[in-house]
Amino acid sequence: MSEHIQAALERPSLIAFVVLFLCGFFVMTTNSNMIKKLIGIYLLQTSVLLLLVTIGVKQNAASVPILTEKHIESPETIAPAAYVNPLPHVLTLTAIVVQVATLGVSLALVAAIYRKYGSLDENEVLQRIE
Amino acid sequence: MIEAHDSLIVRSAGKLLIPLSQLFALYVLFFGQYGPGGGFAGGVILGTSFLLAVLVLGPQAPPCRLAHQLEHGDGVGLMIFVGVGGLCLIGGGTFLDYSNLQIPGWNDEERRSLGIVLTQIGVAADIAVTALSIVFSLGQHHSQEASHE
Amino acid sequence: MRDQLPVILFLVPFATAICLPMVGLKAHGWCRPMALVSLLVMFVLAVGNLLLVLKHGEQSYGFAGWSASASPPLGIVWVNDALASVMMVTISFLASLCLLYSGPLSPATEKPRIVPYYALILLLVSALTGIVFAGDIFNVFVFLEVAALSAYALVALAGGRALIAAFRYLILGTLGSTFYLLGVVFFYATTGTLNMEDICQQFTKNPELLHSKAVVGGMAFLFLGLGIKMALFPLHAWLPGAYTHAPDAISPLLAGLMTKVALYGCVRVLFWGLAAGAQTEQLPALTLLGGLGMVAALAGSLLALAQQELKRMFAYGGISHIGLILIGVSQANQTAFAGSMFYLMNDAIMQAGLFFIAGAAIQHHGARTVADLSRLRRAPWLVTAFIALALSMIGIPPTGGFFGKWHIILGCLEAENYLAVTAIVVSTLLTMAYFQRLFLSMFGHREVVPDSAAGALAPSTKLAVGLTALLVVVLGLCSEPLISIFRETAAGVGL
Repeated sequence: MSEHIQAALERPSLIAFVVLFLCGFFVMTTNSNMIKKLIGIYLLQTSVLLLLVTIGVKQNAASVPILTEKHIESPETIAPAAYVNPLPHVLTLTAIVVQVATLGVSLALVAAIYRKYGSLDENEVLQRIE
Repeated sequence: MIEAHDSLIVRSAGKLLIPLSQLFALYVLFFGQYGPGGGFAGGVILGTSFLLAVLVLGPQAPPCRLAHQLEHGDGVGLMIFVGVGGLCLIGGGTFLDYSNLQIPGWNDEERRSLGIVLTQIGVAADIAVTALSIVFSLGQHHSQEASHE
Repeated sequence: MRDQLPVILFLVPFATAICLPMVGLKAHGWCRPMALVSLLVMFVLAVGNLLLVLKHGEQSYGFAGWSASASPPLGIVWVNDALASVMMVTISFLASLCLLYSGPLSPATEKPRIVPYYALILLLVSALTGIVFAGDIFNVFVFLEVAALSAYALVALAGGRALIAAFRYLILGTLGSTFYLLGVVFFYATTGTLNMEDICQQFTKNPELLHSKAVVGGMAFLFLGLGIKMALFPLHAWLPGAYTHAPDAISPLLAGLMTKVALYGCVRVLFWGLAAGAQTEQLPALTLLGGLGMVAALAGSLLALAQQELKRMFAYGGISHIGLILIGVSQANQTAFAGSMFYLMNDAIMQAGLFFIAGAAIQHHGARTVADLSRLRRAPWLVTAFIALALSMIGIPPTGGFFGKWHIILGCLEAENYLAVTAIVVSTLLTMAYFQRLFLSMFGHREVVPDSAAGALAPSTKLAVGLTALLVVVLGLCSEPLISIFRETAAGVGL
């Protein structure tokens, strides 16, 4: 048990991921204000992006994988460990775009609800329907 | 109803910063070939510069009228992207296989480089228009637009 | 051209969708014909694709020139096999039918709404194409999100109560996608790759990875996310509201396709990604999904029995059928797999048909609840189609629903899972009970409310309704070739 706790404490960004994830989930489920629910969802998605970036980290000052003349001349000097894996970053970019699109659609929806029912609180809106 | 900002300082600073930020957006877009940046970041900065224009200079200023015209160009960025991919299809390869772009006299790497730049331009255009349309749809501009039609 | 068919199938609706805003600026009237033509072209190409795949076998399509047969594959790979081609035919057929049906009923009568309506439908169809062909788990995420965003906006087009339903759908759907992404991240962290085939190979090479904490956690999140998307029983809360309040022309499209394609995605990840078929010890994930499927099958039909509104009842019926298909998938033998895939096809068509009838009943006869169904006595087309679809939903030969359920039950008997057989039988009895309610209300009671606004059905509505009813019977009669295709797919994956 204690070695698990020690391993966890050595990786602070993973603890940050868990804390943010749970915060986002809590904010999303317990608030009745629609904008606050959206903030919760945004926090949830951002925490997953934090995890994605964390697993793409290399410890010893790895550089960007760009092919230069030096590499073309002597391809045997390319050591994979010296270059950052670009895939997690690409996945993060795509997930950010998805997040922004979701935020856009959800804000437009909330604006339409507000224009129609005059309130941002879910319970009030449900009452005004009946 | 958004009006132009009252303070002269903000308006003058806006007039200076907005063209600078658009230039920076183009720089980020083209620098994406060699470092961090690329279509997504460039498009976001471009869209934000137009939004800054709307917020600071008011909806009647020329940049804002340009922004409203741009809002109609919804699919243009994606059309560029899909167009480039389709051209690669026509050239005989798989989708987005830039080495099949039929440009005489260029070798493989130059074609791929051109293909990626065109794709990123399409992405930037699309994201700028999307950012604009998201914010315009939330505000009163939308109801004004609808009443004009 | 033949090799590029998967991408062309994706590009046809997608390119039309992105050209529609420019076209809509100048000429509103062109939007609907353009959308219809593109979906019909897509249907023809999908049928052609199916014939080619049946003749030449499976095809792997590597994007941007990255070879699909390198191992490990470095680029994005799309898999074009028999199962995917059959799903493509179903999707394009249902989408074109829904567009035909929606002529007089669409909310697109006000000018500003026409362009977003057709553009969103085409985007939804192209995103579903992407999910069907996807060969790696991240592609499934991206296209799942695109499809879901289009669906949220389509549901909200009806205004009023649909806005709240769309908001609830959005919250739960985004939660599902976030969980799915988290699962993908865990899988990537463990295996270092996103390609389904590559993950499968890594798991067969070292099976102890399957029991490591990261993979178990990843599987839990992945299937939780997919479960929300396919409305598995406890996670189904968004479905009744969204399908009931969506515009009457959109409900068939959503009901027939959204949950079914998410279920298809789940099957792909299970069998092609996690090698659930080839593992000598069964994944506990399969047993868990089977158990949840049994609960869903029972709960869905029980809840449907208690509903008053027609569309809500059909929505709950859909939930019970998702449970049924999951029971079939989780038995891990060929018969049950083939039966459940066949039933998935049928369920898409049945759900679409039922919602076509519900929409026509609301628009032409004002019959929204079960009690109002007696107004439909004046509509012979609707009643005949309803009888055919009801026979298929309950599972009476010779309709397609019978053969699907038959093979699923045979598969459960083969796996000696008598609990599942009991669940399927009880669910069928409950389905019969709520259709009995509907029939009683339609024919049994005296006609209470006079038929004031019964207009004649438009020919396109008649065509859509008639075609779906005909198709469930035809599928039942021609079930053998399809079941053998699905059996071959199951054999290919190791079942």
